[in-house]
Amino acid sequence: MSWLRASFLLGAICAALLAAGAAHAEISDTAVKAAFIPKFARYVTWPPPAVGSGPLAICVIGDDPFGNALDQAAASQSVDGRSLVVKRLSSANGASVCAIAFVDGSHTGETLAALGRQPILTVTDSRTSSQRGVIHFAIIGGRVRFYIDNAQAQARGLTISSRLLALAVGVNQR
Amino acid sequence: MRTGVAVAIGSILFWNGRANAEEQPDLASLSIEQLAQIKVTSASKQAEPLSRAPAALYVITQQDIEDSGVTSLPEALRLAPNLNVQQVDASQYSIAARGFNGIQAGNKLLVLIDGRSIYTPLADNVIWNLHQPLLEDLQQIEVISGPGGTLYGPNAVNGVVNVTTKNAQDTIGALARGTAGPLERTAAARYGFSLGPAGAMRVYANYDDREGLPSAFGPRGDDSYRSWQGGFRSDFGAGRDNFTVQGDIFHATDKLLAGDHANAHNILGRWTHVIGPKASFQLQSYYDWYSTDVTLVKSRLATFDNEAQLNLDTGAHEIVAGVGARRTKDRFVNNLNPFELDPESKTLWVYNVFAQDRFNLTRELSVIAGVKLEKSSFVGWQLLPNLRLAYQPNERSLFWAAVSRAVRTPSRIDRELQFLPFVAPSTEFDSEKVTAFEAGYRGEPSGWLSFSVNLFYNRYTDVRTTEVTDLPGNPIELLNGRKGTSYGIEAWGKAQVTPWWRLSLGASHLHNNFELIDGRVDLFPRNSLGADPKWQFVGSSDMDLTPRLRLTLDVRSVGPLDLPPDVPGYVETGGRLGYDLSERIELFVAARNLLHRTHLENGDGSAQLIKRSLYAGTRLRF
Repeated sequence: MSWLRASFLLGAICAALLAAGAAHAEISDTAVKAAFIPKFARYVTWPPPAVGSGPLAICVIGDDPFGNALDQAAASQSVDGRSLVVKRLSSANGASVCAIAFVDGSHTGETLAALGRQPILTVTDSRTSSQRGVIHFAIIGGRVRFYIDNAQAQARGLTISSRLLALAVGVNQR
Repeated sequence: MRTGVAVAIGSILFWNGRANAEEQPDLASLSIEQLAQIKVTSASKQAEPLSRAPAALYVITQQDIEDSGVTSLPEALRLAPNLNVQQVDASQYSIAARGFNGIQAGNKLLVLIDGRSIYTPLADNVIWNLHQPLLEDLQQIEVISGPGGTLYGPNAVNGVVNVTTKNAQDTIGALARGTAGPLERTAAARYGFSLGPAGAMRVYANYDDREGLPSAFGPRGDDSYRSWQGGFRSDFGAGRDNFTVQGDIFHATDKLLAGDHANAHNILGRWTHVIGPKASFQLQSYYDWYSTDVTLVKSRLATFDNEAQLNLDTGAHEIVAGVGARRTKDRFVNNLNPFELDPESKTLWVYNVFAQDRFNLTRELSVIAGVKLEKSSFVGWQLLPNLRLAYQPNERSLFWAAVSRAVRTPSRIDRELQFLPFVAPSTEFDSEKVTAFEAGYRGEPSGWLSFSVNLFYNRYTDVRTTEVTDLPGNPIELLNGRKGTSYGIEAWGKAQVTPWWRLSLGASHLHNNFELIDGRVDLFPRNSLGADPKWQFVGSSDMDLTPRLRLTLDVRSVGPLDLPPDVPGYVETGGRLGYDLSERIELFVAARNLLHRTHLENGDGSAQLIKRSLYAGTRLRF
């Protein structure tokens, strides 16, 4: 029966992936998150006036857990020919230039509130915050995963690719 | 002296055969000329003689099936030179026309039994071992290589197989058949009876018990397979209205894991109404359900299909038009590994409307133009046109050419299989598309010889690839990262060498040329491209040795498969010797794959070695 055959094959792929995954797990969670953030840019569409035509800004607002890792990850990526730059801000002031904002630290809730409904892809981390941005990192099964609040994204005028939505642990739809 | 006696005996036999044929015109034994005019419906969705059907169409007749001694539908399809049949294990087959052969890749051949599709949109394939029609009750099998999207919709990319069973009016009486051999035992019975002056019905049961085969690629479980199918068909004709109601029920078990089984059933109704001498109308509905439960993987699919069709013949124009809607509801539960379909159960719809016109430009030259508009749940509206030219300089020859477009729509597996975060569902996986250019000749240069030649050139776009994506975490996803071309030739012929000896020969050649779009990768090319032989050759010889003794021998030679793992080419033969003990009782012995103890036909991970098979049987008719 073909299903049997198919599932054996899938089993083999699955074993290979788990092996690959084991190697992957040795990298720190923070480094994985730093690698993820610039990649989000490719699967998000901002409303036309929001992000100009220069480099796309990834902002870290509040604490910066990434150090140089985010800058390196951003430098290796481009989106439709546009480079990515990392900016570090202490508060939501001046955040209107940000396409993506990773918000971390003790003032996460206030910062998110201050960002209002600007067309910014907000990213938060369950490790330090119970407040959720559009994308919210979580560690599930020992791996970095993320939730997506698509209702919030739409309220901010952002369109998130179905391919990225499909990867989320959970999607909050409007 | 000896030669003289042989000739004398030969001429007596010959004379007897002829006398017999004249006394009792046997519809089963059609002459080459009759075969050229055999009625086919697949090419145009209206009955027409084969001689005018502008497509690469091969007809397997009931007589061909009986003579070959095969015991299953996939084995019968080996008779078609334009199909590549790969037996995978004791009961599972992978069958393709013009390439893409493989359990995962074999998604471009559409198969229908009495107008009911047995192609499953859950995984986009045909699960051959869920279908066990009674071969004795088949009318014929029409095999088209090449696209059939305009008339048949999605997934008729490289071929359409139309299996038709006999009208119940033609199967009055009882039939019993049994075969036994070391590898397979079968038993079947059918009873057909009249229902009033204008109706008839038959009921049948068909049992098959297959031994397991030795494994080809490392250790594997017991693939022995036991299945039975029962069913009925009733036909009523009253004046201008004809009704058909038919149904089947199927059950199978295997021994891989305790509790493994498969179940299926279907019921179909068809109403044909003759509006006038030049017009008819047909309405068909069916419900089809199957479930397989194999090694902790459970899948179910329920299909409800409705279609209406109108045929008009104004003399200048022959028009066929129709509308259809199909609803499928599936369920997939995998307890074997973490791969899952999200959602677990889903309902999909396919709607279509089509029209095709055949009109004469001159007495000899006809144009066939048609288009289907189709909407399916995953990919929206698609256009499936075809344009054909048919040139018939005389009644004995047809030259034809065609350009067609067909698509293979995403299956549930293509779109929604996932194992997060490693394997992402392929939310953007699009239809695979082909534009096919074909030309052919079918003719009957003399009353004892007929042959066909078909050439094709296919351009494929958006062919499936399994890629590592740039998404966060770099999961694997199915995408449309490949394009390519293939070209080839198919040829076959039949010759009535002597009145008692007929030879059939067929050959096909396929050249594939696929490439990845710049910057793309494919982790598992074989899963999407399959593995095909570059060439294959089939031949058979049917001899009426005496009016009672009939010998059929067949040979096939298949080239090595073009993608790893290494599956070498092979040559195999088989045959059948049948003896009519009386008009009611036939005894026969048959063999398949005689030359080697085992050989390999398929390179999928689950492929088994195919063994030599010998069996004896009897068939009784009352």
